[in-house]
Parts: sequence; C-alpha cells; structure tokens
Amino acid sequence: MAHSPAALSLTGLTKRFGKTTAVNDISIDIREGEFFTIVGPSGSGKSSLVRLLAGLDAPSAGRLTLRGQDITETPANRRPTAMVFQSLALFDHRTVGQNIEFAMKMKGVAPEARRARALELLRLVRLPEDYYPRPVTQCSGGERQRVALARALGSDPEILFFDEPLSAIDYRLRKTLEVELKELHQRTGKTFIYITHSLEEAMVMSDRIAIMRAGQFEQIGTPEEIYRRPMNRFVASFMGEVNILTVQQQGGATVFADLELPAPDAKGTFAVLRPEALSCDAEGTFCFDAHIVQKLMLGSRTQFHLRAGTATLIAEVAAGHGTTLRIGDTARFSFDPTDIVWVNS
Amino acid sequence: MKAQGNTVWLKAVWIGTILTALYLPIVSVVLASLANTRYMRFPHKTWTLDAYRAAAADYTTVTLHVISLQIAVSVVVLSVLLGTIGAMAYARYDWRGRSLFQKILILPIFFPQPVLGLALLLSMSALGIAPSWKTAVVAHAVWIVPIVTLVISIRMFGYDVAQEEAAFDLGASRWQVAREVTLPALWPGLFSGALFAFLLSWSNLPLSVYTSGADTPLPLWLFSRTATNYSPLVPAIAVIGTFVSGLIVLALLGIRRALFWPSAK
Repeated sequence: MAHSPAALSLTGLTKRFGKTTAVNDISIDIREGEFFTIVGPSGSGKSSLVRLLAGLDAPSAGRLTLRGQDITETPANRRPTAMVFQSLALFDHRTVGQNIEFAMKMKGVAPEARRARALELLRLVRLPEDYYPRPVTQCSGGERQRVALARALGSDPEILFFDEPLSAIDYRLRKTLEVELKELHQRTGKTFIYITHSLEEAMVMSDRIAIMRAGQFEQIGTPEEIYRRPMNRFVASFMGEVNILTVQQQGGATVFADLELPAPDAKGTFAVLRPEALSCDAEGTFCFDAHIVQKLMLGSRTQFHLRAGTATLIAEVAAGHGTTLRIGDTARFSFDPTDIVWVNS
Repeated sequence: MKAQGNTVWLKAVWIGTILTALYLPIVSVVLASLANTRYMRFPHKTWTLDAYRAAAADYTTVTLHVISLQIAVSVVVLSVLLGTIGAMAYARYDWRGRSLFQKILILPIFFPQPVLGLALLLSMSALGIAPSWKTAVVAHAVWIVPIVTLVISIRMFGYDVAQEEAAFDLGASRWQVAREVTLPALWPGLFSGALFAFLLSWSNLPLSVYTSGADTPLPLWLFSRTATNYSPLVPAIAVIGTFVSGLIVLALLGIRRALFWPSAK
C-alpha cells in the first residue's frame, strides 16, 4: 500500500493569470482511494487548482502525473477523470438517462449497455429507476445533485473531482448528501478530490484535508489533526467561531494581553480557544470577569458574547448551565490550559 | 360560486372583444376579396371568387411570392448566422467594449425605417450598386439582424456555459460539444430568431420601397395597388399571401417539433 504509486501526483503546480498567481507551486501526492478535500476561502485558488487537475486549464508551470503517468499536457476529454461542477452543469435539454449516458455515448458504447449502466448508476445514487426518462429540468435540487454525480460516474473515472457541488443546497439536504457522498466513496473505492469553503463539510467526509490560502496549502492533515492541532490562526479560525488571545511579555511576565491575565507556560504567541472551552462555572485555571453582551440559545448549547478587558469573546456552554445569566450581567468565566491550542502565527 | 360564474362571464366578454378587434379587419379583407366592385363597400351585391381565379391565372401572383420568399429566406439565413455570432459577443463573452457594442447594436432598430431605407438606397447608388431583391436583403438585414441578435442573446444569457466544459470533461471532442450541447441548448433561440426574421422580412414595406428596385415584393405591390389601382385582386392576393406565410410558419413549427425535445435519440 505504502509503495503503490500515488493516484495523482502534483509537482510544483502553478497557475498565473496575468500578474496574479492563483496556484503557487503546489506539490503533493494524493493517495489511491483517498477522499481528499481542499478547503479555502473564495479567492484562495482552490477552484483554479481543481481546474488544472481536471485538465480544463493548463498549468503555467509544474507537472501532474496520474498513477505515474504524466498527464500535464492531456486535455480534459482524454483524462480518465470526471468533475461534478459547482453549477452541476447538467444538460438541461436532455433526460436524466441521457445525461448519465453522455460519457458512454461519446465513447461509442451501445445503447442497451448504456441504459443498463445508467439504471445501475441511478440505483447507486439512490434515485428511482423511473427517473430515467424524465427531463432533468423536472428534478429537484437534491435530485439534480444525484444526477450530476451519476453522470460523472458514468464515465467510469479513476478520480472524481467536486467543485463545491453542495454550496447552493439547503442545510438539511446538504447534511444528508454529505453522508451519502461519504458512503458512495466507501462503496466505489474511487479517489475523490473535493473542493469546499466549509471546513465543517470537509471534516465530515474527508480522509485528509488541505487548507488553502493565497494559492498555497497552509496545512495538510487528517480532520482530527486539523481540528486538534491547527498550524496557525488562519487554519484555527477556519473551523468556525474561535477566540484568539495574544500573549505578550509585560514587565518580565507573560500575559494574555487583552484579558490582563497571567499566562504562565505559554507555548506560543497566540492562544486559540474554542467557544466550548470557556466555562461559566469559574472552576477553570484561568478566571476572568466578563460583561455579557449577547445571549443566544442554540438548542443543545447556549452561546454568550462577552467583553472582557479589550477582548471580545464567544463562550458556549451546555444547556442547563448559566441559566441565571442575563444580557448586561457581569459574570465570572474560566478556561483550562489543556483546552488551549497554541500557535505562533 | 356565483361571483366566480360572473367573473368567468366577464372574462369571456373581454377576450371576445379583443379577438373581435384583432380579427375584424382580417375578416373584412377576406370579405373584400369576395366582391367584384372597384371599391371596398359592404354588403356586396354579388359574392364571387373571380378575384381568386384572376390571381391564380396571373403570373404576377407567383412572381410576388417568389421575390418575397427569396428575400425572406436570405434574410433568415443571414440574420441567424450573424445573430448567433453577435449574440456570443453580446451575451456570452466578456470583453472590452462589450457594453458599447450592446448599445450600438440596438441603434438601427430605433432608426425610422423609411429614412433608413432612403439612406441605404443613397449609399448603394453612391457605390454604383443597382437596387434589386438582393439589395433589399441587405436593407432588411440591417434592421433585422440586431433584432435576431437580441432574441438569440436572451437564450444565450440563460445558458450555463459550464455545460460545455462538463461535456468536454466527459470525453466529448470540440465538435461533439458543439453538436451535442451548444446547438441543442441554443436551438430554441435560433428558431425564434429565424421565425422573427422571416415574419419581419416577409411583411416589410418601408425598406423594400427604396431598395428592391425593379423586383417587387408582396407588401410593396399590395401597397401601390391599394393606393392607385384597387380591385378585389388586391385583397385576394393578400389572403393568398397570408396563407403562404402561415403555411411556412407551420412548416417551421413542424420541423422544430421533429427535431426538438423530447426526441430521445
């Protein structure tokens, strides 16, 4: 396993548009059968990168090999890969069946064989067989997702690319589709390369995640590693709402500058604290008084927006805690050193 | 329930009024063609098909239709071709000067047609080109190409270009992408454009007056004969012309149905 060639190998891959460098010298091996997700904010170059990988754009520099074979110069229509587009790009003037069979038709597969495979793929993406003759324009959002997926699988690709396909889907359906996509990955055993701006989405599905910023990977790791050990504030803040406290030297002592709280044993320049690390029970090692600016019920948890010293913080406590606290109160909050993630930049 | 019954009745009256207003003039032309008098006067003393017999026997009838058809078909081909290319520039690609192009393109539509016709005639004689049905094609195109470009652009705006990339990604060659994705997706726009071009050219008078030279298209003949030398032959040929263009439009619609969705091939 360790010695099998990478499914996809990027060497110094670079894409420039005029003076801007969208993808800046990226090298990485993506393993066979891996669910690899690239996460980044808009403008980070993630879409440009996936277009290079799919062969829709040519790189300005660098090489791309698929199972050891150089495909840098191979155009998209001759690469054994398929992409699920952000807009899905379904062929609106065709039926569900015709969409799924498109790649097979281009390859010259006989109509009966195409149909049999299309019905198989419909089952795989959990669509009823009677969808086969329907126009895609009559499908709902979630159904269109499934058709797009089946169409990509219809080309029997070695690697599947996904360019934020779930970004326009409502929350509940997105959650369902995330799980289905993960199961589909497990069932097909194919290599999935997924692009998203949501680290939360990436966490659910991925084997490995790469956090992208300004055309480069900031950090690559398993969801666990990214969550537990973010390399810097950028990666940490990508996870959602986090508190970042700056540590400074003041009169020979190390302190959390904003809170004016001693910070012994500081292991970095910035302390990253997740909202759930802050407790309103004043039992933690570090205690501070905070003014409650906002109180929001989140169901299983209650969120407090706090002002303490010059810092603005977010705390989340389990439901049932802090029930007596109201907006405008000043209360004692605390956190433990074990919950701090230290970063230096 | 009663209120609803009343509304239905009112709706029927309203629609009936509009249809009457629309069709009464057409019906009166048909009635006029069934007379044998030199003036349009109702009711007729004698009802006769003489005018139609005369029209059928007269070689002019065929000539008029052939000339109008030659012009209209040429305009359709020219304007769909140019309109498609223009629509790509108008709606699909973003380029420097696009918004200027979008404005300039519309201008000929607002230009009064008689003036446009005269201007074109003057330009052509300055270039030493003798007016004929061919110059009428050019004149019609000047006015119709922008309209067809707009019609096709509407379709182009609603078309996700990523479909072409998706097809290419799924193994289609450039030619297959055009045949399997681009053309079918734009086809309704091209069809509407062709239909517009045909009807606008077929019924055009102000541009033909100046630019068709010795070749007389149908509307021009109808106009001059109504003004100077009226006989029931005029409404008779008008009715025949309406049928001919109606049949052509029906044929086009038939072609569309045969070619277009949901033909699962």
